[in-house]
Amino acid sequence: MTSDTATRPRVLVVDDAATVRMYHTSLLAEGGFQVDEAANGLEAVEAAMTTAYDLFVVDVNMPKMNGYACVEALRSATVGTPAPVVMISTEDRPGDADLAYRAGANLYLVKPVAGDRLVRIAGMLTAQRGVPA
Amino acid sequence: MNPLLSQFLAEANDLLAQVDEGLLQLEQRPGDAELVNEVFRGAHTFKGSSGLFDFPELTRLTHAAEDLLDAVRAGKLALDSGMVDDLLAAFDLIRGWLAHVTAHERLPVGAGTDAALLITKLRAPIGGEPVSVAAHAAAVPPRVVDAAPEWLAWFDADWLSTTAAWLETTSSTMRFLWYTPDTDCFFRAEDPLHLVRQVPALEHLGAVRPQQWPPVDDYDEYACLISFVFATRAAVGELEYLFRYVQDQVQVVELDADAITRHLRGEPPLKAEEPVHVAVTEVADSEIAADARAVLSAAQRSLELRPDDEAVHLRSVCHAVSAAAYALGVPTVLTDAARPAILAAIERLLAEAAPAPVMPLTPSGAPATTAAPAEAPVARADDPSGQVGTKVLKVDQEKVDRLMELVGELNVAKNGLTFLADAAEEEFGSRVLSRRIKDQYSGMHRIAEELQAAVMDVRMLPLSVAFNRFPRLVRDLSRRLGKTIELVTEGEDTMADKDVIEALGDPLVHLVRNSLDHGIETPDQRLAAGKPGSAKLTLAAVADGDAVIVEVSDDGCGIDPERVKRKAYEKGLISEEELETMSDVEAVDLVFRAGFSTADQVSDLSGRGVGMDAVRASVEKLGGTVTMRSRLGHGTTTRLRLPLSMAVTQVMVVSVAGQRFGIPVDLVVETVRVPAAEMGRVLHQEVVVMRGEVIPVIDLARALDMPWSPEDPTDRRILVVSVNGQRVGLLVEQFHREVDVILKPMEGLLAYADEFSGTALLGDGLVLLVLNMKEVLGLAARVA
Repeated sequence: MTSDTATRPRVLVVDDAATVRMYHTSLLAEGGFQVDEAANGLEAVEAAMTTAYDLFVVDVNMPKMNGYACVEALRSATVGTPAPVVMISTEDRPGDADLAYRAGANLYLVKPVAGDRLVRIAGMLTAQRGVPA
Repeated sequence: MNPLLSQFLAEANDLLAQVDEGLLQLEQRPGDAELVNEVFRGAHTFKGSSGLFDFPELTRLTHAAEDLLDAVRAGKLALDSGMVDDLLAAFDLIRGWLAHVTAHERLPVGAGTDAALLITKLRAPIGGEPVSVAAHAAAVPPRVVDAAPEWLAWFDADWLSTTAAWLETTSSTMRFLWYTPDTDCFFRAEDPLHLVRQVPALEHLGAVRPQQWPPVDDYDEYACLISFVFATRAAVGELEYLFRYVQDQVQVVELDADAITRHLRGEPPLKAEEPVHVAVTEVADSEIAADARAVLSAAQRSLELRPDDEAVHLRSVCHAVSAAAYALGVPTVLTDAARPAILAAIERLLAEAAPAPVMPLTPSGAPATTAAPAEAPVARADDPSGQVGTKVLKVDQEKVDRLMELVGELNVAKNGLTFLADAAEEEFGSRVLSRRIKDQYSGMHRIAEELQAAVMDVRMLPLSVAFNRFPRLVRDLSRRLGKTIELVTEGEDTMADKDVIEALGDPLVHLVRNSLDHGIETPDQRLAAGKPGSAKLTLAAVADGDAVIVEVSDDGCGIDPERVKRKAYEKGLISEEELETMSDVEAVDLVFRAGFSTADQVSDLSGRGVGMDAVRASVEKLGGTVTMRSRLGHGTTTRLRLPLSMAVTQVMVVSVAGQRFGIPVDLVVETVRVPAAEMGRVLHQEVVVMRGEVIPVIDLARALDMPWSPEDPTDRRILVVSVNGQRVGLLVEQFHREVDVILKPMEGLLAYADEFSGTALLGDGLVLLVLNMKEVLGLAARVA
């Protein structure tokens, strides 16, 4: 089991809504990922300082530090290839996605995201992590 | 209820409270940007979570509220109290819906109509429906209706036709599922029936037998041969969550009335070329391609938006593009490529990948969607770096109650040891054993006490829980009455047992309403009396030993003792003599008498004169007291004194006619033995004179209708109690010791036996009835 745990990609789910966090976490855990949770941007940055993640799933509207600021902070703290970021938000107004892309997100999705889709995308974005190209 | 929904309901509770409180504060400080932001965020988070469930009205209404708040936040709109009213009304409606969801797992019928009205109101200040109607449509996804699958035949035909008719009238759809558990599912600790029973909003369930049972000789009783068909209104997200371990064994279709009717008539489905929208899981390759293209477009856009070519950003984009390319089956190496190379690669990939078939995504080490769950989510619990969030544990109230009950039972079992010790000495003649048992007892006693204290501590809640509802109540009522009132709360952090806090709610509402309705004057009257136009209402709590004192005070007109006395006299509550001799303090206390109401005109706020006597009754039921002080023209203060905890009661055990009863120790003044000769009689009432005071004596046996006459003609045992400030002697057979008991309320048929406040189990297994002294005295008066 240890070797398995070592190779399974690790995801950090960042969302202030406990229900959404539980939903995303359980979907990803079922999908075979190791999942940690953070309730806001600050907690996410803190977690990322001690643990190497293969993917961040980040909400936009959060207290303390919002999603955009969180993504920028996560990015500026990385050396080497940064872990991909998927932002998931309830906002679906024009321009919202651009804010995410400007902050450095790799994909912007609107809630609610179907379970299989989230796992599929997470699988795609983490498929090559650590595999020499 | 599935854990996701119960998580949502718990979270919703907190969020709605946060929003409500914020809105009320916002009305006082409309310009506070941080506050607006906080309220907005609460509403926003709530909307996000609600979107996981199939509650379209809920999401739509929250969305409207959120948009209004957003406009305020952006400074496009100034919040006025009309808007606050609408917002509060919206969240009130939502709270009502959630109560319905808690009970029935769906929104009430009529929710759409209720919501529509409020949505129009909420959207009015921001210019009606939003410009991008499409954005709204997205919030409520269009219903995709599937064709009826063949397995629909396994549903009961009568039920199907009823359902079709119902779907027709409501023009809605329902989800139909076919779940075929693996034959060897029992060996994987799966429980298909249990799983199906957990489906929320289950409308119909049927078990499907195999078309042919295997011959008896080959029959394997450990193989699961049955499958299930069922219909539900639950949202796809909830179903996905529930069936996440067995996704490949479930087929889902969403059907409307038409599809079912066609099936019943034997007509072919409309979309024959697309047989069944199979399952949650079966990943169509085109879906991966679509996701990959989305990632590519995102990469493109992200490069456009950030022309700075920052190294980290470029590397991140490279990685995403490589991943997408890999998923599309066109591996492309892009390590540390520059902007033009990346852009070219994206364009090439997008062009190539459009309709092409792609390879499934199962790279080594990477998870595939259908991968068997390698490790249950439970495993995360012992993962130290997981759950960065809160350290506070939310526990179901029932669990704490259960714990308290167990502590009570432990106390009873523990007390049993003392009886055992007595028996060891008396029946078996072993003093040594008796002492050892007693030693054991004292050890257990200490632990039990600590355990009890610990559980009681868990049950402690701050008074703010009881005070929280008042800002809203005071605001609404004062507006209706045209009075200006400033509500001040003090000592909200004072802790008390949750039962006390809960029971405190109604009396406090009564007192606050009374103050608002009768105590506090209109601004004109106040100004005329030389007081500030705005009145002050204070709710204060302070701990006092093992009691908590809660005061409701106002700076209103106060109570006129003369008027109260006159009123009481007119109503026949006091005699003419009392009218003349009664002190002002006593007069004010008259408002607590049953059937007294000072308001000349009964208002709809304070009800019909059932106010203060009800307050006193419920506070006394908690083992507390109420007193009122008033200065005419300056205001009124009502003081409630309550025990910090009502879980453990000290009772004095007495016996009457061979039967034991408990009497709350708080009421007991003293126990006396009086020679029969000293008993006197005034009119028909037996009395005893103690230290110059004449105390009426009630024969407890007679009051309780038990046959008993004192055997000992010379000595009478009298327990003196103080009820409502009056001393009364109770004639009993014998006094016993005082015990700590956990009082359980009377249940079932006995719930109507008002003369008892509850039962308690004694260490020797006897059930002790604890007397409600007030009622018992009433009974005695009737018997006499």
